[in-house]
Amino acid sequence: MPGLSAAELSFLEGGIAQDLRNDGRGREDFRSFSIQLDVISQASGSARVRLGATDILASIKAELGSPPAEFPHLGRLELAVEISPTAGPEFEGRGGEELSAELGKALERSFAGGANGTGAAVDLAALSVVEGKTCWVLYADVLVLNADGNILDASAIGIKAALSNTRIPKVEVLAGEGDEEGELELNDDPDECARVSTAAVPLIVTLTKVGRHYIADATGDEEAQMSSALSVAVNEKGQLCGVTKRGSAGIDPSVISDMLSVARRIGKRLLAKVDAEISLAESRLESET
Amino acid sequence: MLQPEGPAPSLDEAAAKLAEAQAILQSSTASLPLVCLGDAIDLGADAEGGVMKGHGTMMAGEAQLQATVCGLVERVNKLVSVRALKGRYTAQVGDVVVGRVTEVAQKRWKMDVNGKQDAALLLASVNLPGGVQRRRTNVDELNMRELYQENDLISAEVQQINQGDGAVALHTRSAKYGKLQGGQLVTVAPYLIKRLKQHFVALAAPLDVGIILGCNGYVWIGSKDLVDAGGRDEDEGMEAAGPSGQVDLQLRERMCRVANAVRALAALGLPVHPPAIVEVCNLSGLLRVEIKDMLGPEFLAQVAYREADRRQAEGDAQPMDH
Amino acid sequence: MSARGAPSYSPYSGIEERVMQEDGAGPASRSVLGADSRRQDGRLPEECRPAFLQVGTVSRAAGSAYAEFASTKVLVAVYGPRESRKAAAYSDTSRLTCDVKLAAFATKSRGKYGQGTAERELSDLLHKALVSAVRLDTFPKASVDVFALVLESGGADLAVVVTAASLALADAGIEMLDMVAATSLSLVGGHLLVDPAASEERAQDGNVLVALMPARNEVTQMHLAGAWPDTHAAQAIELCLDGCHKLDGEMRACLREHAATANGS
Repeated sequence: MPGLSAAELSFLEGGIAQDLRNDGRGREDFRSFSIQLDVISQASGSARVRLGATDILASIKAELGSPPAEFPHLGRLELAVEISPTAGPEFEGRGGEELSAELGKALERSFAGGANGTGAAVDLAALSVVEGKTCWVLYADVLVLNADGNILDASAIGIKAALSNTRIPKVEVLAGEGDEEGELELNDDPDECARVSTAAVPLIVTLTKVGRHYIADATGDEEAQMSSALSVAVNEKGQLCGVTKRGSAGIDPSVISDMLSVARRIGKRLLAKVDAEISLAESRLESET
Repeated sequence: MLQPEGPAPSLDEAAAKLAEAQAILQSSTASLPLVCLGDAIDLGADAEGGVMKGHGTMMAGEAQLQATVCGLVERVNKLVSVRALKGRYTAQVGDVVVGRVTEVAQKRWKMDVNGKQDAALLLASVNLPGGVQRRRTNVDELNMRELYQENDLISAEVQQINQGDGAVALHTRSAKYGKLQGGQLVTVAPYLIKRLKQHFVALAAPLDVGIILGCNGYVWIGSKDLVDAGGRDEDEGMEAAGPSGQVDLQLRERMCRVANAVRALAALGLPVHPPAIVEVCNLSGLLRVEIKDMLGPEFLAQVAYREADRRQAEGDAQPMDH
Repeated sequence: MSARGAPSYSPYSGIEERVMQEDGAGPASRSVLGADSRRQDGRLPEECRPAFLQVGTVSRAAGSAYAEFASTKVLVAVYGPRESRKAAAYSDTSRLTCDVKLAAFATKSRGKYGQGTAERELSDLLHKALVSAVRLDTFPKASVDVFALVLESGGADLAVVVTAASLALADAGIEMLDMVAATSLSLVGGHLLVDPAASEERAQDGNVLVALMPARNEVTQMHLAGAWPDTHAAQAIELCLDGCHKLDGEMRACLREHAATANGS
């Protein structure tokens, strides 16, 4: 994104102060978004989210692996974000790497839950196959095709949608002979697959501070002017499950607590909208097949 | 798997409506002289007299002209060219453009005008503060940033184009050109901006805003003052915005509505010119659509329908003319 | 899904796709062609997969295209021409840069994004296939960037990438001598299989790729690898050239249709 002139920046800030951004939105308004499910056939679950012009693909691949050493009864959820250079030449090479790493970390923080797995986005215990030996690892990969701001929030929507679309094959542990371990038999039949409950999957609301105010769902231009931002993950219960501060400027603590409550409020509205859009996408999928 | 880029659909009727409206628009386009890359261009009678090959064409063997882009064939006297639908802005002398300063170099500014290369605005081609015509001094050279600095948006006119490498030179030697403040920029594909008599347009009440339709696809929406040819003085630094970018809320609302009208037209691939902009704004008022919802699929479908109806009525009345 | 009913550009149409069995069994464990001389997915040896092509998918890019050939899915975005910021004093051809990446979910088992050498090679081959078609002289001092993303690797990836990249360049309005269509072929157990699927490529004894400017009938890129008996090589190349010509028809139809919707009159 090219830099804006001092005049444009001043106009932008003025609009935010008056609660009328350049595209007519108020400070707390999200752009309209759309969700498509099952877009990557070879993934266990997938979704495409378009939020304004920001366009991302989220894929979930379920593979068998080993459980975390400290918590052998749990499965794993691994998250990664990649910004493809198709999103813009500024994301080629190094440019995209740093941002991708930052966003990946923010997602991990929001979805991981406590160290022992409580409050994680998905039921990690349900992913265990053989305690201490084998578990399901859900690899969640977000690929950014087009960037116009707020990639993180769009990614969280994408992962929630992709998880709702995810089918995990049934695994049967066959009895071993004597001391031998039992073999694993995978049942690929779609009707026998387990679904992932997404009730606990949070959404992220990133509030971008521009001047004295903060806005939700910043566009690329608005983001380029930010001094700092707070990405807040909120779940269905209204709990905060992850907060990441971004940007280099400092924020007053009272402002932070205000931002947290604003984020909670926006998050609640957003969860309702996203659930509705996911249902719509599901029925559209059903009518297609 | 992936649907073409366009307004994000939701399952609603809105998306279905929009798709339907766009299909109507598509079918209402009478057969156009479209050529594809590599197609031979039919020269017809001109083949005898010889033609000049313009942009988007090349010779393929003797007396055979071939298209090097996909687009519409245009003939102006003996000049045959193919206008690509997308693609970078191709300048013509006299074009009004809006450019962004990318670099302050020796005795000139380099400007991004959405072209293949940056354009140049020479120190010798601007109006100096005070409006006086005088020779540029060393002080002027050092103070270039006082006038325009990096990222500033400037309205200007294309002065000349270098035959060899197509390099474009701009000038702001008229009171109406210069730095833009107190508004916002919307970028659209250059082919959506037609060359008109007036590119500085004051939209009448109740809209009451000024727009600059840059031929390069950069559209500036600001207050009506910027269209007033008489009164600009670089020295004062236009304060349509007061200090710290304060703009009256009512004016800001009107500007946002116009800006979204431009975005809506661009999203549908419709030409962006004043009557169309006014019509979209009126439609949004009529349907009581909030400014922020003007970019949603429901309103876009309405705009597309309107346009399809208009074309049908026109098409019935007379053949399409290009 | 959306690609169902996509026009087939091979001589045979209306073939049902049978589900491909991807169990990774070795080449010797099953015969290449079934009793009815059809391939695993139901195609005849000289038959290409249906091509689903679309342009204009990435809004920020100057031009873009999406191509889906059964399970091979590719997205290409083109930026430019833009002023060359780097010292483009090297060779003139370096003003066209190509970059191919595989998504982490592109292969059946998840790979890491940015898979290194394979991608660098693909990028290089893509550049060679396109550079002779692009009219670099129409944008002096400017450069064009082509970014290709393989979203699903289902076989003949490079050929699909070249085809999609050519469409994206056309979409961006960049002047070219001609479109570039590409087709590849695998030699498996003595059989010539056009537009190979991933499982066929894994079992191949040799392969050929041809990138062609169809209207000019000029080959921009060709490579052949493996041990080829007798006249197989010549025949293979013929099949590829034919495939390219047919693919060209589909590409033009796609561009025409897209141009008709962008109706600015």
